[in-house]
Amino acid sequence: MDVDSDDSDIEISSRNKGKGKATAKKPKAIRTEAISAQPYTWEENFARSWDTVTEDATGSLQTTVDDLQARSRRRRLLHPSGTALRRTIIRHLVLLLDLSAAMADRDMRPNRWGLTLEHARVFVAEWYDQNPLGQMAVVGMRAGLGERICSMTSSVQDVLKSISEKHKLEPSGEPSLQNAIEMARSAMSHLPSHASREILILFGSLTTVDPGNIHDTIDACAKAKIRISVVALAAEMKVCREMCERTSGQFGVVMNEGHYKDLLLELVPPPAQVGASSAGRIGGDAVSTAPKANLSADLLMMGFPTRLPHSAMAALCVCHSELKSEGFLCPRCLAKVCDVPTDCDVCGLMIVSSPHLARSYHHLFPVGAFTVVTTRAEAEADACFACARPFPPIATSGGAATGGGDGVSPYGRYRCPKCSREFCADCDLFVHEVIHCCPGCGK
Amino acid sequence: MHLVVILDLSKHWLDAQSSLPFSRFLVHLQAFLNAYKAASTDSQLAVFAAAPGRNLLLYSDHEKGSLNETDPNAYPSFTLVGSTIAEKLAALYSDLEVLDEPCSLVGTLINALCYINKAITTGQCTPETDEPRILVFSVSPDLSTSYIPIMNSIFSAQKLRVTIDVCQLLGPETVFLQQAAHLTGGSYLQLEATEALLQYLTMTFLSPPSIRATLAVPIQDRVDFRAACFCHKNIVDIGYVCSVCLSIFCQPIPVCSTCRTKFPAKLVLQLKASQLPGITPQTSQASSTRAASAPSRADAPGTADFDVSMHSDPNSLPRYTRNGKA
Amino acid sequence: MQSSSSSSHQNAASSSSAHLPQNGNTNGEEKDAKSSHVLLPFLQSQSQNTLTRLYQKPSACLAVFRLLSPLERQLVMNLLWLDSAISPATMAAWVVRDRRNVYDRAIQELMKLHILVNSTTKLVLNNTFKASFRHALTGGGTSGSFGVAADERQSRMSLGVEQLDHFALERWETILHYMVSSGTGQQPERPSKGVLFLLERSALMASMYGAMQITSTGFQFLLHSPHDQLWDLLLQYLHLAQERDMDLVDVLSFLFMLSTMELGRTYTASNLTATQKVMLKDLRDYGVIYHSDNNAGCFSPTRLATTLTSSAPPLPTGRSTGGGAQGEGFIVLETNYRLYAYTDNPLQTAVLNLFVTLKYRFANLVVGSLTRESVRRALTSGISADQIISYLVTHAHPQMRKNEPLLPVTVQDQIRLWELEKNRLQSADGYLYTSFASQADYEFVLEYAHSLDVVLWEDPVKRCFFGKAEGHGNIRGFIERRTGGAL
Repeated sequence: MDVDSDDSDIEISSRNKGKGKATAKKPKAIRTEAISAQPYTWEENFARSWDTVTEDATGSLQTTVDDLQARSRRRRLLHPSGTALRRTIIRHLVLLLDLSAAMADRDMRPNRWGLTLEHARVFVAEWYDQNPLGQMAVVGMRAGLGERICSMTSSVQDVLKSISEKHKLEPSGEPSLQNAIEMARSAMSHLPSHASREILILFGSLTTVDPGNIHDTIDACAKAKIRISVVALAAEMKVCREMCERTSGQFGVVMNEGHYKDLLLELVPPPAQVGASSAGRIGGDAVSTAPKANLSADLLMMGFPTRLPHSAMAALCVCHSELKSEGFLCPRCLAKVCDVPTDCDVCGLMIVSSPHLARSYHHLFPVGAFTVVTTRAEAEADACFACARPFPPIATSGGAATGGGDGVSPYGRYRCPKCSREFCADCDLFVHEVIHCCPGCGK
Repeated sequence: MHLVVILDLSKHWLDAQSSLPFSRFLVHLQAFLNAYKAASTDSQLAVFAAAPGRNLLLYSDHEKGSLNETDPNAYPSFTLVGSTIAEKLAALYSDLEVLDEPCSLVGTLINALCYINKAITTGQCTPETDEPRILVFSVSPDLSTSYIPIMNSIFSAQKLRVTIDVCQLLGPETVFLQQAAHLTGGSYLQLEATEALLQYLTMTFLSPPSIRATLAVPIQDRVDFRAACFCHKNIVDIGYVCSVCLSIFCQPIPVCSTCRTKFPAKLVLQLKASQLPGITPQTSQASSTRAASAPSRADAPGTADFDVSMHSDPNSLPRYTRNGKA
Repeated sequence: MQSSSSSSHQNAASSSSAHLPQNGNTNGEEKDAKSSHVLLPFLQSQSQNTLTRLYQKPSACLAVFRLLSPLERQLVMNLLWLDSAISPATMAAWVVRDRRNVYDRAIQELMKLHILVNSTTKLVLNNTFKASFRHALTGGGTSGSFGVAADERQSRMSLGVEQLDHFALERWETILHYMVSSGTGQQPERPSKGVLFLLERSALMASMYGAMQITSTGFQFLLHSPHDQLWDLLLQYLHLAQERDMDLVDVLSFLFMLSTMELGRTYTASNLTATQKVMLKDLRDYGVIYHSDNNAGCFSPTRLATTLTSSAPPLPTGRSTGGGAQGEGFIVLETNYRLYAYTDNPLQTAVLNLFVTLKYRFANLVVGSLTRESVRRALTSGISADQIISYLVTHAHPQMRKNEPLLPVTVQDQIRLWELEKNRLQSADGYLYTSFASQADYEFVLEYAHSLDVVLWEDPVKRCFFGKAEGHGNIRGFIERRTGGAL
């Protein structure tokens, strides 16, 4: 069989990553000669990953490895949009874990349920890190009932503790989507309208055992503006897809363990507000239709506490009734709470410390993507502006540089559109993923 | 060990009443850097400067040159640091036309973080064993536009496990840098006796974080984490936050000034009505008593009447008596 | 002492916010308790006079400073710029309450080194140390203790950094290779007489049957890191120096001066003392400096010298292909006891041969396996299981560092079990006494043997006991007396 050029093989694999099921077979002009040699059309979608590894002129594989790494970096960076979308910062999420017998299947190591718990731990930690004002609850689906594993809380330790008790979470029985969603909906029914309500279902079986009509439940959720997203471990179910489409959530089917983690982590950043219902597919850009004015914009009353140092007198806290000296004082009722952010147990005021608000600013004011320096004339600076390490010297022999294309700069330089400074690839990644601030602009 | 030093070279050095001329500061700094490098040959050092209009790297261990002549009485590594910094500073000041351009201290802070990040990704530095640190010498007051970048830098420093220490040489206290030092586990020092600068630096900033567990360094325990409202820049205890752009206001207003969202009029009226009498940020004393009955949600009107005692100095704690529920 | 006016609290970590990073505070105690540098006990055994003379040179102060533990360093720096003494209570007020014993230990160490004046009522640095260390930090004084560079004419004939590394490596490996292959029939190149003398005096090799054989201490020496090996030899040299009537202060100050010199630069030997000039030849044999006979006026330090007080690798790490970089590791150990060593260095291969059965040898790879015979062979030569394991850990390939733990637990446990096997049986020479005529006879003799304390084992049921060899004569005589010589 002919071996095609690198690009086409990478094309195939990248397109497949976003889809969970067999795609429509698009005839590719490049591969026409190969098609006649291929006996089955489903083989077209099969990515021959060994073809991407080729040796360069000197017989070394280093350039191919660097190239693949650079491409994966660029692909990650191109996805988040640089424009400021309206996002809901105060989120309430109910995590629905499937604890049915189908989760004991060993097609993912060690079994689906163990892997789910592991990834859920990472997801919970990351979610609270990115959404400090959010609250999460955990519900399990087991033996036809919905079980409350953890109630709505803003403390990451509580959630992690509740899902770490493995003996209480053994999978058995059949899952019931309707019961679990009803339980989740009732847990969120009393929340004010400015907060976003979301349900995330990690679903591993192909059936559901419901007491009534699940479409009624879906209607009720849509009316209550609850956004349901599903990550399916087995195949796609029409009911799940319909749920996600009607409530403008995201639906994805897992291909392997790594893909599972990627799908989960895509749901961590706050979703953009959508007006009409539009199906969002995980892996594509988050599209927002023209937002209606005043879409659930609210003025929230929040209290900023004063912190009691270690040297303060020991006193009882209102949340656990423990005698401790350090804590925070609610500004309205002076009750002592242990940890922020939280709702004061006494007067109900939302207590938030200013760094928590500041953590969410980067979602609202993101850094624009850097442009790629492709021509030699544009490459001016000697050293990266951010880390002050010198760039590799440009080959003085003329002609185009090797490599590059598809978002990778052949000179390893990337330019900020606002302040026109040049950065290296590592700093580009760091600025966009961790700091969310361009050093040249200083804002 | 990794240390990145940031020097603030803004025009505040030229203040008339300053008791610390820049030349004397450089002498003390040189001795401090030598002391840091004397500890071990593996100590990595980098010095950045926030100059008017640009940020530049003054000295880095990766790009040091070499001396042509060695002095038998001086350790070559020390003289290299001193001469490189002096050369670059001289070149900078001869090049500089306008001293009035604003210095971006926070931009240089981000530079330092990128530098440390690069060291981590290339494997030269492991955060657990090398304990990377950033030491900021600041002379300028807080800039309100730099709040968001400073908070972002603090969170990235937390992720990279970098400690930020701050030495405020001249000028008033900077709340943002205090928060930076506190949230990353570093120390903040407001310099008073400027003759003893070297002794202050040695005792406070020279020791790595693992030694600070044994030999304590001065830290700020009462950092004010309350926010300032966007409209008047007052410190507020209870603020009104727009849910779209997260800007904080001290009074309920119908339209958000940052993102121009209109809030439902009913809500604004409700909040105005529920505003407790006498609760404005600058109230002064009254006795503190507990509310008789507490409202349950934020939007329900408050029924209790109670006063909160607050001193006008925002840095102190409200008086907290034992009468209230603990 | 001026106290800082901002609020100083004893705890460094604080805040109940969940976003604080985790400091390595729990490791502080272990780091402080790590063993100090091997040279420090030697220095502490010297007299105050010697040490004060040593501290007159700034480079010596700097080198000794680098050998201290981090807490001791911080204490010295705290006191360095003060002019007068302070009371111990003032400094102790800065110490966290739980770590008081660590602090006290540090103060004790400093006093033993005579860096701190030995007194309970005040805390002040030794004046000489203070003055020279201040000179070291600020660049002053007149001692010229950082080495005078050679002038143009002499430095034209000096070597580049690569050649210096090559020279040092070759000299060092000659010594080690000689040690490893002694007694195996190979005839490697002999190091100079001075080195051989040193090896014999330090009990690393012993002269048996006319030739030098390596001892068990020598085997243990081979498995240490190059840094530790170098310091072991230098310590022996220092001990010898006292016997050879060399001025210890000169020797030490020359060593410390070498540790602060720059690699690749030539220094002139004209202002060295007589002792130090003698040292030039000795140190050349170890590969610490390069000194050619026809250019006797100058010398250059090699990497072995410049990394004396640091933890950087003192020898260039093998000829690795491509981006080998800083990793010294070249051993991969699998759970089936197979070992793959990516090296072509004959010395490293010879060291591995001590405890591994080598199977194949390729151009850049040596394959072997850890078997019971090979490990027992090593154990009988005096190497302990812990040393084998620590050697494997220090030279583990960077790829292995992704494992948790580094070496497979099964292999570690098995090596230790093989070591314990040696302790299963203890043998003693002796005699077994059986076939007693009656119970009374047996008990009588047994009591006598007990009174002599020679009984190793007894069995009342079978009426026999085992006694040590040296008690045999007495017991036999006793029995003969009882039975009147009938036996």
